[in-house]
Amino acid sequence: QAQQQQAQQQAQQAQQQQQQAVAAVQQSTSQQAAPGASGQTPQLFHSQTLTTAPLPGTTPLYPSPMTPMTPITPATPASESSGIVPQLQNIVSTVNLGCKLDLKTIALRARNAEYNPKRFAAVIMRIREPRTTALIFSSGKMVCTGAKSEEQSRLAARKYARVVQKLGFPAKFLDFKIQNMVGSCDVKFPIRLEGLVLTHQQFSSYEPELFPGLIYRMIKPRIVLLIFVSGKVVLTGAKVRAEIYEAFENIYPILKGFRKTT
Amino acid sequence: MPGGGRCPDCGSTELVEDSHYSQSQLVCSDCGCVVTEGVLTTTFSDEGNLREVTYSRSTGENEQVSRSQQRGLRRVRDLCRVLQLPSTFEDTAVAYYQQAYRHPGIRAARLQKKEVLVGCCVLITCRQHNWPLTMGTICALLYADLDVFSGTYMQIVKLLGLDVPSLCLADLVKTYCSSFKLFQASPSVPAKYVEDKEKMLSRTLQLVELADETWLVTGRHPLPVITAATFLAWQSLRPSERLRCSLARFCKLADVDLPCPASSRLQELLTVLLRMAEQLAWLQVLRLDKRSVVKHIGDLLQHRHTLVRKAFRDGTAELEGGEKELQGQGLGPGQGKAEAASSSLDLPEGKRPASPALLLPPCMLKPPKRICPPPPISTVTGDEDISDSEIEQYLRTPQEMRDFQKAQAARQAATGVPNPP
Repeated sequence: QAQQQQAQQQAQQAQQQQQQAVAAVQQSTSQQAAPGASGQTPQLFHSQTLTTAPLPGTTPLYPSPMTPMTPITPATPASESSGIVPQLQNIVSTVNLGCKLDLKTIALRARNAEYNPKRFAAVIMRIREPRTTALIFSSGKMVCTGAKSEEQSRLAARKYARVVQKLGFPAKFLDFKIQNMVGSCDVKFPIRLEGLVLTHQQFSSYEPELFPGLIYRMIKPRIVLLIFVSGKVVLTGAKVRAEIYEAFENIYPILKGFRKTT
Repeated sequence: MPGGGRCPDCGSTELVEDSHYSQSQLVCSDCGCVVTEGVLTTTFSDEGNLREVTYSRSTGENEQVSRSQQRGLRRVRDLCRVLQLPSTFEDTAVAYYQQAYRHPGIRAARLQKKEVLVGCCVLITCRQHNWPLTMGTICALLYADLDVFSGTYMQIVKLLGLDVPSLCLADLVKTYCSSFKLFQASPSVPAKYVEDKEKMLSRTLQLVELADETWLVTGRHPLPVITAATFLAWQSLRPSERLRCSLARFCKLADVDLPCPASSRLQELLTVLLRMAEQLAWLQVLRLDKRSVVKHIGDLLQHRHTLVRKAFRDGTAELEGGEKELQGQGLGPGQGKAEAASSSLDLPEGKRPASPALLLPPCMLKPPKRICPPPPISTVTGDEDISDSEIEQYLRTPQEMRDFQKAQAARQAATGVPNPP
């Protein structure tokens, strides 16, 4: 029985460590359970009621819950998050096909290719699904644009590589990388751009003589936002999807501050 | 100085280094005999160390002001004088030009860009002193394209890390209105069209403020709004004689260019004024339209703050409330609120003022051009198998290739252009 108690204590200690680590991650005010020598019931993160009474003679550190720890919800509480998710509109990616290409041959043998060397030194190829456009250079490097998600961009790039393979070139699929992601969303209220450029002048550039939107260069994450009077926001310059979401969550409270409430 | 040598003539050891102009010589200080002479000419190997360096790699480029920069600085001063700017502006603009020139990207830029840079420096100086100068004016003076100007302007602001304040609307109104040639009678301007400058200025300012409050200015080029406001102010000061004059004719009379968007700004401003007029009982009975409302602009402007508050309901709060209602009751937001507004008033049908309109920018009031359906949730993983048949649809058949080659050859024969490499 002593062994059982020991094992239980060890399990409780492990759980305590896990809970402390999770508490550090959560960053929100949560009740930290303090070991109570008086036998006080500690507060659990997911406020599950105690199902096991502390054994007599042992110091109850963390009573073991019936079910394992549930995953903790994200740090920002629901009341603060905007509830709006930016939609991805365009992904630009590059890949190295790993072999020199003869663009004239590609333009001759592919139906979906366009090649005008006097205008641009690359073949412009298009596929229907996913609806994308690729620029294929004679060095073997390729740029793929127009996809709506990272996975679609990768699939499209693979399809272009396959087309080039079928045209007789030893194409590979090296160093696929997402270079840029563009997202957009609508906050659904008008924004006083003149006010925003006054309070955030070190980040904003608003020149109505040149462009109707305000250009906001966010530092963390490094994203450029185009903010329009209608409340529509375009976010660009991201390498990963999370940067777009984070940038929007950063700008939303700032924009809310410019809503006129009479 | 003794150097271990002896004079061949007198045998003295007193030999002195004494250069004859640039030729080094060793001379006996006793008898004056020249013992050795330095070489006047240099050999080819010596000259190898003195070979010429290109200007851009020498330090001369940094030490003196290049001709191109001198030209640019002269252009900056000329532009300041043409615009009749105070002398302090000239020095600031010149300083900005010099600062910009230190950056290699600017030093190596095309002449067209350097020319436009002159305008950018002057514009930044004016903006920082709240001197209302539009980019259009500068581009016209420099015969430059607004696209080229905008690129250089954005680049230089970022490069120099400058904080450029926004264009001051009130100052721009004063400057722009003063340029209208309507304050004195002339052969082209009959007496009935002549107007007092102060009256016109103050009314135009009020109309521009009204436009700003009702979301007609944000995001738009400032000048067309001011043109429309000036026109309305001028018309309203003597409506009986001036109502028949159109906006285009007005600008021609005043010897001012008519910017394209001014007519639509005019219509938007008149719509706002009409909504305000509907809130005044004695104007509501007159059933005004866009022409007749001009006669009452004076009254409307006098009470503009109250009228705007009554005529428009806060669009931003409405959008939120409307959406919740839509979810809860299935009613349209406008419908629900209009009923609430009308039921709260005691006046009988026909006599109550119109229910308030939404105060939103015009772009939010127009129906969307096309309804974008939300994109279907994609289940693509990126690693799916790619079927051969899907790829083969993108490959030409041999017959197609032959046809394509024939067509290309025929086209080249017709135009006489050689095959591209």
